[in-house]
Amino acid sequence: MISTARRTVLIVLICAAPIVGFAQWLHYPTAGVPKKADGSPNLTGPAPRMADGKPDFSGIWHTARLIPCNPDGNKFIDCGTEIGGSPLALDLGTDMSGGLPYQPWAAALMKQRKADRGIDDPHVRCLPDNPPRPWVMPHLVKAVHTPKLLVLLYEVNAMYRQIFVDGRPPLVNPNPSWNGYSTAKWEGDTLVVQTNGFRDDLWIDMAGSPMGEAGAITERMRRPNYGTLELEITINDPKTYTRPWTVKMVQKIELDTELIDEICLENEKSYQRLQAVRQKN
Amino acid sequence: MKRISIPALLLGMLAAAVCAYAHHSFAAEFDANKPVNITGAVTKVEWQNPHVWFYIDVKEASGKVTNWGVEMGSPNGLMRAGWDRNVMKTGEIVTVEGSRAKDDSNNANARSVTLASTGKRLFAASSQGQQ
Repeated sequence: MISTARRTVLIVLICAAPIVGFAQWLHYPTAGVPKKADGSPNLTGPAPRMADGKPDFSGIWHTARLIPCNPDGNKFIDCGTEIGGSPLALDLGTDMSGGLPYQPWAAALMKQRKADRGIDDPHVRCLPDNPPRPWVMPHLVKAVHTPKLLVLLYEVNAMYRQIFVDGRPPLVNPNPSWNGYSTAKWEGDTLVVQTNGFRDDLWIDMAGSPMGEAGAITERMRRPNYGTLELEITINDPKTYTRPWTVKMVQKIELDTELIDEICLENEKSYQRLQAVRQKN
Repeated sequence: MKRISIPALLLGMLAAAVCAYAHHSFAAEFDANKPVNITGAVTKVEWQNPHVWFYIDVKEASGKVTNWGVEMGSPNGLMRAGWDRNVMKTGEIVTVEGSRAKDDSNNANARSVTLASTGKRLFAASSQGQQ
């Protein structure tokens, strides 16, 4: 026989359990997830659709392809607790025979950046991660999709991108920017995003592959099922590359979590030390 | 103690099979050929971006005490792995295994952090990207 006091404690504990479990948004359940018969998420279920019938890309996304871990090869730390990034974050040409088709000046610059181990990367200095880098970095991207506007929110530096689907014309010769200016049109269930207006000094991977003002990016985005966002990204920068080239970046949905602002300049210590090491060498 | 669900455990195992990553090349800042194994009392914890840093007073054989800075992964990564800013407290004795900074300053990247009192492994891992 349970005493009244013990029964009261038990009821309080039972009632409090879900509150404790969801105390952090890091573990807050995602609403509207299709479920299998056993209650687990059905990630191959149909993609949601917006009121206009077009696929809804809303969700928190993270690269589906991750740098494989070799525990024996770790020189600095164990295989990780971090969520991981794609090999494409290190080198967008990693899958291309011969690598990216650099113009001669860009190939020479790449040699120098490789020798420097990429210490001049704007990312090291906490500057913004311009497209297409956020799709392959070890950080989450949150898409908020409405029929006329797709907003991409980034954890790092609390950054955002706006992709207008309202029929506005692309900008001609706009002021150079980190994220560029994006407009989009649907081709069936594929959203074709055109972006131009970039700065002349951008890095598009950690290896240091450059992109400049002449650069334009086409992102073909589709959500074949609930759990997957497929991106086919073409970069056309004739001043930097000998031909346009295309890379695929598959994203997987991240459930039951939320973005956490990661303001890089909060306590950045590495850049000055890296520069000091270069001067010493 | 927080309960870990089976899906979370599977996710954790999956995550463990993936190398972590950083906002800079570790090989550019730290030297894998300069391993450090240091023990001391925690003097300060900076649970901040882009990397968590903590500091320990290490007593050398001569009796001289040197304050070392130790770099770990990002707060976001560590939080998603179940750690939080209250895990390590000032005054606790910890042992750090890692790699020393290339500039020979008293800074290191932590490969492992262990609580001396219990042997419990803290933070389990840090960042590793291109080498």
